[in-house]
Formats: sequence, structure tokens, C-alpha cells
Amino acid sequence: MNELKNARNDYEATPIPQELDALVRASIRQGRKNYRQRYLKISLATAAACFAVLFGTLNLSPTAAAIAADMPILSGLFKILTIQNFQQTQDGIDFQVSVPEIQASGPLAPQINAAIQEEVDRHLAKARQDWADYSEAFLATGGTKAELAERRMDVIVDYEIKSQTDTTVSFAVYLGECWVAAYEESYYYNLDLQNNQPITLQMLLGDDWVQICNESIQRGIAASVDETGFSYFFPAEEGGFAGVDENTAFYIRPDGVPVVTFAKYEIAAGAAGTPEFPITTE
Amino acid sequence: MAVLVTHLEKYQKGEAGVKPTTLKLEAYLVQEQARFYRLAYSYLHNKDEVLDAVQTAICRALEQRGKLRDKELLKSWFMRILVNTCLDMLRQRKRVSLIAPEDLTNSSYEDPLPEDETLAERINRLSLEEQTIIKLRFYEDLSLKEISLITDTNLSTVKTRLYSALKKLRISLEGAMIE
Repeated sequence: MNELKNARNDYEATPIPQELDALVRASIRQGRKNYRQRYLKISLATAAACFAVLFGTLNLSPTAAAIAADMPILSGLFKILTIQNFQQTQDGIDFQVSVPEIQASGPLAPQINAAIQEEVDRHLAKARQDWADYSEAFLATGGTKAELAERRMDVIVDYEIKSQTDTTVSFAVYLGECWVAAYEESYYYNLDLQNNQPITLQMLLGDDWVQICNESIQRGIAASVDETGFSYFFPAEEGGFAGVDENTAFYIRPDGVPVVTFAKYEIAAGAAGTPEFPITTE
Repeated sequence: MAVLVTHLEKYQKGEAGVKPTTLKLEAYLVQEQARFYRLAYSYLHNKDEVLDAVQTAICRALEQRGKLRDKELLKSWFMRILVNTCLDMLRQRKRVSLIAPEDLTNSSYEDPLPEDETLAERINRLSLEEQTIIKLRFYEDLSLKEISLITDTNLSTVKTRLYSALKKLRISLEGAMIE
């Protein structure tokens, strides 16, 4: 057993060369380029006409673009539109941005829209700053402008509607940055647009909501322990799951079940991704 | 039950409302790079070749990411590409021998093995199939199910090979470690 531990320690002590990171990034660029070229060939052969009609029209005519963007995703009391939608490369940053906006008559929608816009603006400003800092450091440490021009940063803003009814909607906004470091933040919004209030776990689960959530999540964590007794989840005393509160993020599944989500590294090792727990009582 | 689903997996499954993006794959590759390097190094034991292998595997993964749509998880999928790349390079190395073996001196090896026979050294003398199973199970902590996905071998074959490899390594482990 000890021998095995030693072998494993040796394995983990493998020195990682400094150039690995740059190489990984360069390989990703290269792979992406190859993929694009291949993908382009296929799509050109099969769907040239569609592309011409769709993208051609959207790019040429602001009216057509506006009409396309204005297609309501939801009907009823409110609708969700993509208000900012662009893909562009600017000063070495690849932006892929889709920002949602809720259109509804009550006071809640503008509040939420402002909150989303604030997060998005903060994210884009941070990304630009990160990239500026990186470029400066890159040049200051002997990199050339030509080499810098080879490098890119990806900035992504996207959203996903998790579920909807005539009066409620649950959706997630993702903010991502991918370059020397990659990270992603998610924000979840659960809104009752008839009564103009955010939906809480308490509203969905009743007064025992804390207990119901905690039990459900503990069950989920217990079920994740594999045959060797290993789990990605940290023990509670080492920063693992310690209980839900009013700030716990969740979304609502189409079947109405709330799903509590955690950020990467929040309660588990990175390999576990972003853990999600449907909250059920059985 | 906990659902350990990353957004990426949803992208892969093409679930409704999710736009395909490569963010997650790329983020994963950047984040776990040291892990890939270590695993590749355990096969190739030569820095330049390892870097080569990592590069090739990443390029392959990005080029073939359209194939990621099936149910396989990202991790097993990429590990499979990486392991196969390393094995390909090892096989190629066997075919291409530029220096006659008798001309090799100790200094020709970039990474001379330790004099005494350590467990790590014994692992590296196993067959490639057995090496892979031992490394993935005990170095990378993967489950036998994941290993069977990565090696494209059925689960009982993985188990049989694991037992025979452990026997050759002269180590006996608690049943729980092996299952």
C-alpha cells in the first residue's frame, strides 16, 4: 500500500514545464481553426443558400435584424428578448454576447433588467481590463506585438431559459472569460411577473424549505460517493456544503421542481463541475 | 440524487435552449493541463514528446468535438484521445529506431530509471493495456466504468486485466480499492 502511495506521489511530482500553458493555448487555437475550416467546408456545401438568406438579410437590414430579434420567446404576460447580440473581435478579444431583457408591465422587470445589465457591464469591463493587463505584461516581459496578435481572449455572455409558465419564468445568465485563466459565473433569476416578485425556495417548498433542501442535497452528496468511498464533495468542515440560505442559487425545472446549483469549487472539487441538486421530498 | 451536470454536458447533449459553445471544452483543457501532462509523461518519459502528445491530443479533441454529442462524458472522451495519442507515439517509437541499441549509453536516456526496482518502474514494464488501467485507476482515481469507456474495453475485461496486473506487481489491495 505504501509502495502504491509512493508511486502515486512520484507521479504527482512530475515536473510541469513552464511552456505547457502556452502550448495548450496554442493547440486550442490551432484545433479551433482546423475545426472552423472543416465545419465551413461542410456547411458551405450543404447550406450555402440558407446562410445567404439568413445571415445576409440580418446583416444587411437593420429592420430584418430587429424583427428577428424581436421574436418573442415567451408569450403571455411578458416576453424575453435578446437585447444585445453580437459576435465580434475587437483588440484581441472574441466577444460572443447575448444579453436577455424581460419585457413586462410591472416594476419587477426593469429592476431585474438593470441588475443583469450591471453584471454584464461589470463582466465586459473586467474582461477588457484583464486583457489589457495581460497584453501589457506580455509586451513588458519580452513578447512582441506580432506574437501578441496571435493571442485571443474569449468573452461570453449567454442566457438560458430553464422553464416558463404564463406568469413565471426561470432563467440563467452565464458570464464567461477564457484565456490564460478560464472562469464562468452563473446568475439565476426566478420571477413571478404577475405578482411582481422573485420566486423563493420558501414559496415553492413551504416553511420547512431549509430542512427539505438540506436533506435533499445531503442525500445527493451521499449518493455521489463511489465504490472506493471517494467523493468530489468536500466535507462540511473543509468548506463543503453547510446548508442553504436565502442566497442559495436555484432554478426551476419545467416540471416545477426547484434545482439548487453551486458554483464550481464552491462545495466540491473542480472535477465535479457545477453541482446541481433537484429538491425532492421522497 | 446529485446531478453532476456541467453546462458543457448539456451543450453536448444538445438540450433545448442551449447554444453550442466550445467554452467548456477549452476551459477544461486549460484547467486540467498539468494532469494531462503527467499522464502522458508516465507513458513517454520525455518532455518534448509529452508536449507533442498533449498538443496533438488537444488539436484532435477540438477538431472532433462534433463527435462529443453522444452520451460520453467530456473527461472520459478527452482522456481516451490523450491515451490513444500516447500509445500511438509509443508504437511509432518502436518502429523508428535511429540508434542501434548497442550504441546506446546510459546518457542517451533523458530520464534514467532508478537503480532499484520501484513500483512505478514495475508498472511501466506491464503491457500497455495493463499500464493504462493501473495508471487511470490509482494515479487518476478514475472508476473502472470510466476506464472501460476510455479504453473502449468492456468492464469485465478491465477487471480481469486489473487483477492480473496487480498480481504481476505483487501488490494486494483491499477489495474496496479495486471494485
